[in-house]
Amino acid sequence: MGEVSRLVVSARLENVRQACDFIVEAAEAAALDERAVYHCQMAVDEALTNVIEHGYTYQSNGSPIEITAEMNAGVFVITIIDEGPAFNPLEHEAPDPAAPLDTREPGGWGIYFIRKLMDDVQYTRTANRNFLTLTKHVPRSDVSGAPVEETDALFPVRQLDSGAVIVSPSGRLDSNTSPMLENTLTMQLEQGHTWLFVDMIDVEYIASSGLKVLVSIWRRAQERDGNVILSGLQPRIVEIFEMVGFDMLLDIFPDIDSALAAQAKKT
Amino acid sequence: MTMEINISELKRAHLFELAGRVDSTNASELGETLNRVVENGRTNLVLDLYGVEYMSSAGLREMVRVLKRVKKSGGDLRIANPSERVKEVLELAGLDTIFNIYPTQVEAVGSF
Repeated sequence: MGEVSRLVVSARLENVRQACDFIVEAAEAAALDERAVYHCQMAVDEALTNVIEHGYTYQSNGSPIEITAEMNAGVFVITIIDEGPAFNPLEHEAPDPAAPLDTREPGGWGIYFIRKLMDDVQYTRTANRNFLTLTKHVPRSDVSGAPVEETDALFPVRQLDSGAVIVSPSGRLDSNTSPMLENTLTMQLEQGHTWLFVDMIDVEYIASSGLKVLVSIWRRAQERDGNVILSGLQPRIVEIFEMVGFDMLLDIFPDIDSALAAQAKKT
Repeated sequence: MTMEINISELKRAHLFELAGRVDSTNASELGETLNRVVENGRTNLVLDLYGVEYMSSAGLREMVRVLKRVKKSGGDLRIANPSERVKEVLELAGLDTIFNIYPTQVEAVGSF
């Protein structure tokens, strides 16, 4: 049984994004892959937009919508509960993706996407509230790929003559593997290595959990007059860094050699 | 990050470089930006989706609206650089057969 995450927002379009962020965080914490996370985000976006635009028809602007997310036996379950008038989105006729342009209505795709993107969609009306339950199965490969359980697993570390170290994480830095990065970097800090070069050349994906680790270690290194210096970020990861403003916080170099060279010049 | 649109007037077409998130809160802004150019008689449009990290059906709706409009005047709205996720969504809605989609901006602009 997983932990239930919960968010309540008022029924306004500008709050949809907050719900998206919430569901992305919950889905990443549940170790869904990037594609499944995207699908959950879009399904929640479409469902909330429907509730706000159709269910409430803007009249009860501000009534609460509750969203919960829970991982349960390999299934990620999202519920969306609102107090609007009865509105069963599943009753509405889905548009036809094969329709040619001239007969195509521009809109009406929200519920179509929810059904396509999720594995199961259920609607019930109980106690004057609408309950929409969205279910996403975790892809088999992720279920079998056991999460990193041994807390002593570490990423490779190379110590330099200067006392600085190069840490080389690889693969996906998500909620499963970010603790491993944190352990690796924390151990180096505690051993007095405060200049930490993190070579990200083999990192293909970074979730918010990985970003958090980098920033918290960066803070701790700064407190000890050290630094965290990144190199080899793939373009998509650079984008994520720019989005959250980390590119202004952390020193980033195209590759480890230029990172080391820049540091050597300073000292 | 919210949505950003960068417009360039090229010889062959108007290029719209889109970045960020397109959802129900800002999709109409995308539609209005495209429509302003269409109203000035320019109907050859390229929408570069390279920087789009997320697009909901609200964004697709605006794209279809504009496509319908420019097609009537003999123009076209062509798409460049959709991410894997956005491409999947376009395919789910059957829009991959309705829009001309190009892997790069150069190819999309050059197609006019």
